[in-house]
Amino acid sequence: MFELIENGDQVNKLMARYGVKFGIYKNGQFQEQIFPFDAIPRILSRQEFERLEKGLIQRVDALNRFLYDIYHGKQIIADGVVPEDFVFSSKGYLPQCEGITPPGNCYSHISGIDLVQAKNGTWYVLEDNLRIPSGASYPMIARELTRRVSPRTFAKYHVVDNRNYAKMLQDVMNNVNTGGINVIMTPGRYNAAFFEHSYLAERAKAVLAFPQDLFVENNKLYYSNYTGERQKVGTLYRRVSDEYIDPMTFLPESLIGVPHLMDVYRAGNVALVNAPGNGVADDKGIYYFVPKMISYYLGEEPILKNAPTYLAFYEEDREYILRNLEKLVVKDVSEAGGYGVVFGNRLSAEEQRQLADEIKGQPRRFIAQEVIDFIDLNIVEGSTEVPRKADLRAFVLSGKETKVWASGLTRFSRQADSFVVNSSQGGGFKDTWVLSR
Amino acid sequence: MGIISLEKSDRLYWLGRYTERVFTTLSVFFEYYDTMIDSDPQAYREFCWQLGIPDVYGSKEVFNWKYLFDEGDTNSIYSNLERAFNNGVALRDELSSTSLSYVQMALDTMKRCGSSRHQHPLLDLQEVIDNLYAFWGSVDDCVEDEECRNIMKTGRYTERLDLYIRLDMDFRWIEKEFMKLRNRITKVQLPYDEPALERIGEIILREKDNWKDNRYVALELLENVL
Repeated sequence: MFELIENGDQVNKLMARYGVKFGIYKNGQFQEQIFPFDAIPRILSRQEFERLEKGLIQRVDALNRFLYDIYHGKQIIADGVVPEDFVFSSKGYLPQCEGITPPGNCYSHISGIDLVQAKNGTWYVLEDNLRIPSGASYPMIARELTRRVSPRTFAKYHVVDNRNYAKMLQDVMNNVNTGGINVIMTPGRYNAAFFEHSYLAERAKAVLAFPQDLFVENNKLYYSNYTGERQKVGTLYRRVSDEYIDPMTFLPESLIGVPHLMDVYRAGNVALVNAPGNGVADDKGIYYFVPKMISYYLGEEPILKNAPTYLAFYEEDREYILRNLEKLVVKDVSEAGGYGVVFGNRLSAEEQRQLADEIKGQPRRFIAQEVIDFIDLNIVEGSTEVPRKADLRAFVLSGKETKVWASGLTRFSRQADSFVVNSSQGGGFKDTWVLSR
Repeated sequence: MGIISLEKSDRLYWLGRYTERVFTTLSVFFEYYDTMIDSDPQAYREFCWQLGIPDVYGSKEVFNWKYLFDEGDTNSIYSNLERAFNNGVALRDELSSTSLSYVQMALDTMKRCGSSRHQHPLLDLQEVIDNLYAFWGSVDDCVEDEECRNIMKTGRYTERLDLYIRLDMDFRWIEKEFMKLRNRITKVQLPYDEPALERIGEIILREKDNWKDNRYVALELLENVL
C-alpha cells in the first residue's frame, strides 16, 4: 500500500488524462475541476461490509415498498405511521405519478445511501438519495487507475474488484427494459456530472443521449438517427431531475426534457431509471420515518441506524431543538448538496435567534440532528498524512434482486475543521475497498 | 451501437475538422516559427494571409503567443483545440475513454504551455502533435462503429483539403486528399452536394495546370459540400 500512497500523484495525473472531473457554476460561469483523489483507501472488512449490505438492502427494499404505497393505497398514512403532512407537502411528492406502477414495480433502481461511522464503530445513515444519485464512476475509474499505478498493492491485499458496477447497471437496465435500447440521457455537456454520464454510458454499453436526440411518437420513446431512422428506447436512465424531464407534465419551460415522456412511462412503454416521484422518499423529513417503514413493511428490526433526528414539526422535538440549538446540526429539508446545513455551535447568538425564529415560523422545513463525531480518515497532504472527516456513499442496485456494490464513494473534507464533504464544496474522494477475506 | 443521432453526427464531423485544423496549422506554424527565428520576423503575416485570418498581431512575439494560446482569439490553436475537445467530450461512449484521453492530453499540454509563457514552443508543443497522431491511431483501433469513424474522417479530409489548398501545399498532396474525401464521403449517409464535389474534382483533377486560378472557387464549394 505504501507504493500506492507514494504514487498518489501519478493516479491524479491519470485522472486528468481521462478527464475525471465535475463541473460547478461560479458567478454564472461553468468551470470543470478535477475531483481531488486521495490514494489512501477506506477499507471495509468482509464482515463489516456484509453487515452493511444486509442493512442497506433492507432499507432500500422498504423505501421501494414505501414509494409504491404512497403512489397507490397510502396505507402507511392511513395506519398513522407517516403523517400525511410529510408526504403531501414534500417537494418530491409528484401527484402526476399517482397510480403509476413502473416496469418491474421498481422505483429506486439505483440508490445512493450516505453513511458515516462514529468513533465507536457504529454506522449511521445520514441521507437516502433515491432520485439520481451520482458518484459511482469515480471509485470505478480510480480502481482502474490505482491498479495500474501499484499492481503489487492489489496482488498483496485481497480487494473485491469493483469494476463490475457497469455490468450491475446494465443488468438493472435490462431487467426493466420494455423492449428497445438502453439509453443514458444527460442534460448536456455543461452538467456538473457530465463525466459520469458519459463514462457510465461507455462502460455499460448504453447510448448516451441528449434530450434533442429523443422523441415520442404513438406513445413510444425513440432515439433518432441522423439519417432519419429510429430505435425504440426500452430503458431510459435519465440524469435529469424530475421537474425537467417532460415539459408537458412538469416545468413547461424545460428545454432539457422530452415532451410526452410521462405519457410513454404511464403507458408502461418505457422504464425510467430512477422512477419520477422518488423525491418523496428521500426527503430529509421522511428520513426520520425510514426505520418505522422497515418495521411496517418488512416486519423487521432496522439493521442500520439513523442519526438521532428531531423533527421541528413535532412540538416536543421542536422544544428540544430550540433548547439545544448550539449542539445540533440543523438541516433545511428543501436543500441538497451540503447546502442548508447549519451547525448550531458555529452561529453567533443573534444568528441562533434568527434560526430559532425560522424554525418556529416554518417547522416543517427543518430537521435537527445530534452531531455525530464520525471517524476521521487519513489523507495525504503534502508529504504528511492528516485526519479528515469522511462519509461513505454506498450504492444499492435493485434489479431482479437488490444488491449492494462492493465499493462506494468515500468523500472527505479537505478542511481540518469541516464536516462538509460534498464535491461542490471542495471535498475530495477516496476509493472504498471491500476485502474479500 | 449502430445508431448515431443528428447531434452526434455533427459533433463527429466537427471533431474531425477541428483536430485536423490543429494538427495541420500547428505543423505549418512550426515551419513559420523556424523562419521567424533568424530569417524573416514578418513571416507570420503571410501565414495569416494564407489562412484568411486577420493579422491583428503586430509583431512576431505577439503572434507567437496569441496565435497559439489566446483563449479569446477564435483563430488561435488553443480555441480550435478546445472546440475539438468540446465536441469529443460529448462522444465518450462512441470514441472510448482511451481515444478521448489523447485530445484531453493535447488540450492540457496547450494549457500548461500557455500558462508558463514557454520559451521553446517547438519542443513543448510537439506533445500536442504526438497526441493528435495517437488520437487518430486510437480511433482506428478503439471506435467500434465504422459509421462513426467514417463521419470523423469525412470531417478530417474536408478540413485537410481546405487547409492544403489555402496553404498552397504540393499539388500531389491536394490531389491525394481530394481522392480520400471523395472516397470517404460516399461511405456515410450525410447529405452532401454532389455537383459541388464534382466541380471541385474537375478543378483539381482536370484543370491541373491552371487549377490555382480557381482555388477560391474550390474553397467556396468545399465549404458548402456538407
